[in-house]
Amino acid sequence: MNGRSASIALAAHLALLSSISFGGFPTVLPDVHNFVTANGWVTDREFSDFFAISQVVPGPNMILMMSFVGLEVGGMPGAILSALATFGPPCLMYYTAYRLWDRFRDRPWQQMVRRGLAPLTIGLVIAGGYVMARAADIGWQSALVTAAAVGVMLGTRLNPLWILAAGGVMGGLGLL
Amino acid sequence: MAQAVETRVADERVTLAALFVAFLKISLCGFGGGLVWARRIVVERQRWVDDQEFAETLTLCQFMPGPNIVGITTCIGSKLRGAIGATAAVAGFILIPWAVGLSLGGLYLHFAHLAILQNILGGLSAAAAGLMIATGIRLLKSHRSHRMALLFAALAFTGMSFVKLPLLIVLLGLAPVSIAITGVANARAS
Repeated sequence: MNGRSASIALAAHLALLSSISFGGFPTVLPDVHNFVTANGWVTDREFSDFFAISQVVPGPNMILMMSFVGLEVGGMPGAILSALATFGPPCLMYYTAYRLWDRFRDRPWQQMVRRGLAPLTIGLVIAGGYVMARAADIGWQSALVTAAAVGVMLGTRLNPLWILAAGGVMGGLGLL
Repeated sequence: MAQAVETRVADERVTLAALFVAFLKISLCGFGGGLVWARRIVVERQRWVDDQEFAETLTLCQFMPGPNIVGITTCIGSKLRGAIGATAAVAGFILIPWAVGLSLGGLYLHFAHLAILQNILGGLSAAAAGLMIATGIRLLKSHRSHRMALLFAALAFTGMSFVKLPLLIVLLGLAPVSIAITGVANARAS
C-alpha cells in the first residue's frame, strides 16, 4: 500500500473508532495499536513513544498522538487526515447532541436528569486525578507534591502553571 | 428554537475572537488535563457558564464518544454563538496547539532517553494530578448541601479508582439510580 492509500485507510479506521470512543479516546487505543502494527505501518516501540510524547506536550493529546501515527504512515497529509478523523466525527455528534439537549432545557425531566448526573461526573473527575496521581507516584515525595498541588489550587488564586512548574523543577532536581 | 435564539441575542455577545483565544489558552495550558484550565477560564475568568452548568455540560460529553474536552469546547462555543461559535472555539483549541505539539514532539523524540527529562515529567505529572483532584473538589462545592449528591460522587469515584470498572458500566449503573432519587426528592419537595 502506498502512503496515500494507507493514510486514507488509517483515517477511515480512526473516524470509525472516534465515533465509538465512549469514555474518551484512550479507551480505543488498544484497537488503534493492533490496526497500525498489523499493517506494519508503526512498530510497538514507535507507538509507545508517540504516546509518551503526546502526554508531555500541551494541547489536544490524543489528536496529536494520532497525528504522529499519521505522519509516520503518510507524511504531513497523513498527519492532517488523522487529526481530522480523530476530532471531526465526535465534534459533529457533540454539536448535534448539545442542540437537542439545549432545546429541552426547561423541561422538568431534563432538570432531574441533570441534577442526578452531575455528582457522578464530579466523582469521575476526582477519580481521573487520583488515577493520574497513582501513575505518577514514585514514592511519598511525589504523593506530597500531588497533595500540595491540591492544597495550593484550592486555597489560593495562584496561576496553576506555577504549581506545574514547581513540580517539574522538583522532579528535575532529583528530589522526587 | 426561536426561544433559544432570543436568549442568545439578549445575552451580551461574546466575540468569535474571544472564543478562539480562550480555547487556545485552555489548549496550550492543558498539560495533563485540559479540564483544570477549561473550568478556570470558562467559569472563573470569563463567567460564560457557572459551575453547575459546567458540570452538566461535562456530563453530557461523558455520555458521548470522543475527547471530553473537545466536547466541552464544542458545547460552550455552540451555546454562546451557535455553529460558528463552536467552529471558532474548536479551531482555537486545535489549530495552533496542534502545529506546536507536532513540532515539539519531533524535538522530544530526539531527547527522550535523557534521565533529567524523565524526572521533570514525573514531577509535572504529580502536580498535574493534584490540580485535577482540586478541580473536582471545586465542582463538588456547589453540591455540598445535597447529601445524596455527595454519596453518588463518592460511589462514582470508588467504582472508577478502586474497583476499576469500565466508565460505561459506572455511568450506566449509577445514573438511573441517581436520577430516580433526584426525581423522588423533587416530587416530595413540591
